[in-house]
Amino acid sequence: MQAKSRKSLTALAAAPIILSLALTGCGGSNNGGNAGSSQSAGSSPSASASPSGSASASAGASASPSAASGAPVTIDVWANKFEDTTTTWFKKWTDEFNKSQSNIKVNLTIVPGDAWDQKMKAAQAAGKAPDVWTVSYNQVANDAKLGQIQALNDLMDPSVFDDLYPNMKDFVAVGDKFYAYPWLVEPSTVLYYRKDLFKAAGLDPEKPPTTWDELLADGKALTKKGVFGFSTAQVAGDLGWSSWGLQYNAAGHLPITDDWSKADVQNDGYKKLLTFYQQAYQSGIMPKQQLSGYTDAAPFGQGKIAMEANGSWAIGQLRNSFKDMVNNVGVAPMPTIDGNPNNTTATLGGWALAVDGKSEHAKEAAAYISYMLADDPNVVLDYFRGAQFSKFTPRKSVDQAMQSDPVASKDEVRAMIAEKIVPYSKPEPIYPWDISMAFSTAIESAMKGTDVDKALSKAEKDINDYIAKNKLAGTNPKMQ
Amino acid sequence: MFKKNFRQDNATAYTMLLPILVLLTVFVVIPFVYAIRVSFYNWSFYQDSTFVGFRNFYLVLTDRLFGKSVWIGIKFALMVVPTTLILAFLFANVVKNISPKLSGFVKTSIYIPTIISGIVASVIFVFIYDYTGGLANYVLGLFGQEPKAWLAEVGSALPSIAAPAVWLGFGLTALIMLAGLHDIPESYYEAADLEGAGAFQKMWYITIPLMRNVILYLLVTGFTAQISQYELSLVMTNGGPLNETTTPNLYIFLHFRNDVMVGNSIAASLLLFVVLGGISAIIFRVLNSEKAVDG
Repeated sequence: MQAKSRKSLTALAAAPIILSLALTGCGGSNNGGNAGSSQSAGSSPSASASPSGSASASAGASASPSAASGAPVTIDVWANKFEDTTTTWFKKWTDEFNKSQSNIKVNLTIVPGDAWDQKMKAAQAAGKAPDVWTVSYNQVANDAKLGQIQALNDLMDPSVFDDLYPNMKDFVAVGDKFYAYPWLVEPSTVLYYRKDLFKAAGLDPEKPPTTWDELLADGKALTKKGVFGFSTAQVAGDLGWSSWGLQYNAAGHLPITDDWSKADVQNDGYKKLLTFYQQAYQSGIMPKQQLSGYTDAAPFGQGKIAMEANGSWAIGQLRNSFKDMVNNVGVAPMPTIDGNPNNTTATLGGWALAVDGKSEHAKEAAAYISYMLADDPNVVLDYFRGAQFSKFTPRKSVDQAMQSDPVASKDEVRAMIAEKIVPYSKPEPIYPWDISMAFSTAIESAMKGTDVDKALSKAEKDINDYIAKNKLAGTNPKMQ
Repeated sequence: MFKKNFRQDNATAYTMLLPILVLLTVFVVIPFVYAIRVSFYNWSFYQDSTFVGFRNFYLVLTDRLFGKSVWIGIKFALMVVPTTLILAFLFANVVKNISPKLSGFVKTSIYIPTIISGIVASVIFVFIYDYTGGLANYVLGLFGQEPKAWLAEVGSALPSIAAPAVWLGFGLTALIMLAGLHDIPESYYEAADLEGAGAFQKMWYITIPLMRNVILYLLVTGFTAQISQYELSLVMTNGGPLNETTTPNLYIFLHFRNDVMVGNSIAASLLLFVVLGGISAIIFRVLNSEKAVDG
């Protein structure tokens, strides 16, 4: 009895250490095996197709002997949790896929965004990563380089890639290989405003602001007790990506040179950008503490905010959850630094499905991706319908199908975003997240009162430090 | 005869030790040694690991954010631990002197925060600190004050996170203090009363010296626990504003989550282990634990 309680005490005492070390401690055997490419700069992308030696399926029918013998092959699929309608779509069509044939059985897991990274790391360390997972476009090139995902050219019917818009092919391509199949794109920054509040404040509801100065002035006019005139990202984590479009707008480029060799922030554009954020925050038209994260339009829907920068997905949220409010909502491109409507105001983010680099059933995994995203346009069209057409398709055939959809074809917001925002948008950068964080920390510190020049100098130093320490110069996978 | 007995004892002893030794080996020794090994590698799950020597340690030690995070952890512990100890000490004295029936109820209620998880507490306090609808700003409004950005201002973010930490740690600390108080023989106080000592003198010359070991224990565990605290800042601020609430463990966690190679976070973990060990050693040294002389 005593021994037993001692034992559980020991286990208890060891628990924190187990927690901190177990995750990292059990993946050891995964590293053995073949001579992969070295970690150093310039490992060629094609090396990533075979980093895992025996584990990686050699892309062919031989990978699935069990399929022939009758027992279905089970593949695991992890999908990020987005809107509820997305989850519904995933479940519905995964069921349909399982019913449509008897060789492949898909286990779908919806993983919440906060838990994604640690769950995935733990699974990868244990050698139990899912066969198919959702990947963000800005991760594709790096994941491909590191062998986390494998090329789909030999796994899928090559003609499905011809259906993609040319600029979308680039989102998932490294060299001449495609490493994921795109699912959707969505502009990161769109301006939402309340027409009724515009009227009440004496502003013309059909004339949303077009320059940053107008935006600040309108925000001031709209701010009153209980309602903030303007809202956008205000913590470094959200600013990191939501400001990319505005960075292109102000400076014409991002804070690092194309070959990733040094920081590039000391210019007027970046100064104006930081000043804009600083003025928006300090003038009191924004809440001093964010009411909710950047991607969440709930405070706007609840009437606490009169104008808001948010992604195109927000219109879906407003239409699904704030039906009374929708008629009062105006949607416009994010104002530009100089009022030129042809400037970039947003980056195109979005998601794709990819096959894990170590998947033992790569062929089956790719068949699932084809079914969900690449074959019948109606499958993925059902997703866009659920999202209230707030997202955009990378496929020509889906766009055609959408034009014959009665709801989509009459949707003015959709048409506006498709005509005035998407064509000028840029893809998301693929450099390490630390770079974006170093810069967005500068924006946040300017908002919190640091001098703009000082904030930029610190960002420049941090970015250059990171480049030097991590030998980043010349490692851009898109430049090789 | 003696020899035979000796052997029997040995066998029993080893049998009893075995479960602990096995558990420690499996869950502590092996992972620890393995972690040290991995910290010298660029460790990836998909490609071969490459030996990089002390590079991971170099990267962590030259990262200003790591030094800052350790300093933030210490600041955080300095806010939380003394506050908790003083509050718990006062509270334990009150509980000791009230009727047993009432004290049972009070003890139970004060223990409740201890069994609430840190995540739940964080969410509760996020609501309290909400900018437009939170309790904290509502109270400020009653006094005619402007709402305050509790979690977004550089100055107030860390203290705002320390408040739930105090709330969470208070119950257990108070109960341990109370047990310590009950351990002090009543005769000392009676003797002091006869000598005409006041309440403050009794506390200063009897209670606190005799509680030294309890306080030492609470200081060491409190400091270690608070410097390692991360879920409060993870949920409430995600380390912001401007990394002012990035505690060392949150720093490690964020690196583990974002970095492609895991070596960096392991090196940081091992360095944190050194930091925590050092702080505990300092506390032991300063307080110089000795066995209480009681009768």
